This record gives sequence, C-alpha cells and structure tokens, in this order.
Amino acid sequence: MIQLFHVSKEYPGEPPALADVSLEVEKGEFVFLTGPSGAGKSTLLRLIFCADRPTAGQLLLFGKNVSRVTPAEVPFVRRHIGVVFQDFKLLPDRTVARNVALPLEVRARPDGEIRRRVRELLRSVGLEHRADKLPPSLSGGEQQRIAVARALAADPALLLADEPTGNLDPERTQEVMELLLAANARGTTVLIATHDRSLLARHKRRVVHLERGRVVSDGAGRPLEAR
Amino acid sequence: MGLRPFAVVRRALEAMARSPYLALTAVTTIFAAALLTGLFAASLSGGQRLLSAWAGEVRLSVYLAPGADLEQARQAVAALAPGRQVEAVPAAQALARLAEGLGDDARLLSGLGPDALPDAVEVAAPGIALPEARALAARLRAVPGAAEVDFGNAWLERLELFRSRARLLGLALLVLLALGTAVLVSNTLRLAVYARRDEIEIMKLVGATDAFVGAPFALEGLLQGAVGGGLAALALLGLHAALAPRLAAALPPQLPLGRADLLPGALLGALVAGGAAVGLLASGLALLRFLRRP
Repeated sequence: MIQLFHVSKEYPGEPPALADVSLEVEKGEFVFLTGPSGAGKSTLLRLIFCADRPTAGQLLLFGKNVSRVTPAEVPFVRRHIGVVFQDFKLLPDRTVARNVALPLEVRARPDGEIRRRVRELLRSVGLEHRADKLPPSLSGGEQQRIAVARALAADPALLLADEPTGNLDPERTQEVMELLLAANARGTTVLIATHDRSLLARHKRRVVHLERGRVVSDGAGRPLEAR
Repeated sequence: MGLRPFAVVRRALEAMARSPYLALTAVTTIFAAALLTGLFAASLSGGQRLLSAWAGEVRLSVYLAPGADLEQARQAVAALAPGRQVEAVPAAQALARLAEGLGDDARLLSGLGPDALPDAVEVAAPGIALPEARALAARLRAVPGAAEVDFGNAWLERLELFRSRARLLGLALLVLLALGTAVLVSNTLRLAVYARRDEIEIMKLVGATDAFVGAPFALEGLLQGAVGGGLAALALLGLHAALAPRLAAALPPQLPLGRADLLPGALLGALVAGGAAVGLLASGLALLRFLRRP
C-alpha cells in the first residue's frame, strides 16, 4: 500500500524534516506514527497525500511512484485517500451534511446516493441530528467526528489522520478511535499520527516511532499475527 | 466522472448567496468600469456621427466658362452623378445667394454686374468621403463648358484628417480604459477568490480537480460580469432618455443625435459581452495562482 525507500524531505534553511526513512505499510494495516512535535509525522503524511514531494528517495503509493505523479493526477490519487486533519479543515459556512458530502460531490456521485451516504455516515458518528448545523456551532469533538465522517465518505483505501484525538476528552477520543478501528475492520488501511501515549497503550497496534525525521523504532505493540 | 453542469450552476449561485457582499463588490466594480467605458464609447460614437453630419454639408460646384450652356451642363452633371441632387445656379442667382450670405455687408457687391460670378451646377454630396469626392470631381471636369470644379478640398481634407485622428485617439483611449478596467476587475475578483482560499484548499485536499474547483468561480465571474455590463447598458439607456431633450435642444436641427447614434445596439451588446468576458478572464487569472498550489 505505502512503501518508502530512503525518503528525505528538506526545507531550505531548516534541519531535515525527514531523513532516510524506509517504511512499508501493508494493505489493511492499522499503524500509529508517533514521536515528539517536529519529529516529521505530519511531513510524512503530507508526502503520502501528495501535498509535498520527497527531496530524495522513493515513495510508492498503491504501487505508483508519487514523484512521477503529475499535478493533474494528484486529485485522482487523493480520491483513494481519506484525511482527518488536526485542525479539521471543515468549511465553516457549509452545513455538516454538505461538509461530509464534499468528497462525494467531487466524485460527481448522484445526488440521491450522496444524500443516502451522508445520512449513513452521520448516523455512524452519532451526529445525524446535527446535519443542518454549521460546524462553528458544534463542539470540538463533534467537529472531529464530522472530519472523520468526511474522510470515510468515499470509502477510501487509505485513511490518514493527523492527531485525530488531539484536544479531545477521553470519552470523545474513544469514540473517534472506534470509528477509525471500524473503518480498519472494513478493510481500510489506517495511518494515525499521534503523540498521545495513552492511545498506544490502549490499542495494541503497530507503532512507528519517529525522532528528528528518522524512524527510531518500528513494531512495538504490533499484533504478533501482523508481524 | 465529469462535471455536472447543474451542480456547477448550483455551487456558483450558492457561493454568491453565501458571500453577497463580495458578489455585490464584483458586480459594482464591473458596472462602474463598463459604465465609464460605455460613456466614453458613446461620446466617441456621437462625435463620429456629428463629424459625419458636418461632412454631409459638402457640395461640389462645377463653374462654367462664359457662354457655356447651363442646362446642357446640368444634364451632363446629373448623368455623371446619378442619384445625387443636382441644381443649376445661374450667375444672377449665385450673386443673390452671396449677397444674402453677406447680410449687412452685401453693399460691398453693389458695384458688380449680374454676371460677375460664373454660372454653376451644384451637386449635393452628403457624407461623401474624401477619395470619393476627388473621383467625382475628376469626372465632373469632363462636363461640357466646365472651367473649374470645387469640392471644398481643403475643408474636406482637414475634416477627414481630424476624423481619422479622432477615431485613432478614441480607440487608443478605449483600449487603455478597457485594460485599466480589466486590471481593476481582476484585483477585485482576486480579493473574492482570496477570501475563499480555504474552501479551494479543502476541496483540493478531498480530491477535487482544478476544473471542479474552478468551474463555479468562472461561472460566477461570467455572471457577475454580464450583470455588471447589463446594468451599465441599462444605466446608459436611462441616462440617454433623461438627457435626450437637452441634447436635442443644444444641437442644430440638421444635426440630430438619436439613441442609435450614441448607443448603437452593438455597443450595448459589447458592454454585456465584454463585462462577461472580463469577469470570466479576471476570475480565471485570480484562480490560477491558487490552483497551482499542491
């Protein structure tokens, strides 16, 4: 699903954001990407959803080298990926339903199918009754769940989540994690960037630990059958 | 999976409804720019019409040699200038006209005999252009008994030169004004696009193509431009209706300036189409910088 071979990413005048990272994530895996702030977690996610390109090395996504993906092809690569952003990136002047519908509208799905799918997703995140509200009128936890619903709207093959439980209380954190685990159970590969150690302790999954742009450990907590 | 036209229209209308202030600013800017351009173009069109009307006063005169047959010359002129009004002017009538034209100074002519001026045949040539006047004059020199043909050469040449310079200057100013308008509108629409940069970014992050993101913006630009240009056309028509009586009173009766002279249909159509084109172009240019981002 995701293969990185000696990937580096440098920004001018700054220490390397990623340095010689080699990593493989298989289809259907659930992986925590962890490390302190500035370790390179978000940079790695940005490379995977084609918001940036590696300065060295090769990154293969769905078997395709992202360095060779043309700007016109980027949207079509992204249609296989759902992303939950740390700051949610919801459109504040669209209703909850329209926000969740966005990935489906982009794919020009029929209106009836969009309505059905949005209802289904909002029910699954427990926010069906908030469909006509605007995001700013909702709590942080509710906004986070809308972001998750949007990321899952088009049944992506890969789900990336950048600190999806940041600033959430333990109860809301558990709700969001259950959504991500459910998606994984349906076959979606999930890659979560987090520095929340309690999450890692609670969910025994593969953990890739980054520090100063380098992978310093890989596999802690990974279920034996997945190794 | 292509673009769905109905969805594009819906998204464009929704965007304008969500940001009415931005839409109003864009329409107002295009309206003001189109109105200014339209006023200038109407002045240019009216000016050209007046110059053409003045040119319409041109008369060609064939002066005859003493003893020439006036009626025979009139027939020859009529044959050489078909369709034009031809008038035989005997010497005495020419003198009487001159006296009338001199008014109180007519006494200066008191010492002259009735045949002091030559017989002449006059051809009315309204709106004739200089090359055409030259060609007609050359033909009229062959009239039996013709001593001289006068077509107001100096006046026509000066008028023609003035007309062509005025046309060039007017067009140059019009182009400059249109360019200035495009820059102004582009900056306004760029602000509108900038205000929605988050929306563009988010749509791209969820897999929207440039066409999906750009189509509603382009349609908004087109609609706002057409509405701005259309309102400017209506405002010009209203202005003309309000000012027409004063304009008619200010101009001599032989120089009428109708609505079609100042605001021809082509100009009104061009304002609407030009507004739409500028809106579309400005939206497209403003969008490009955002769409280039990954």
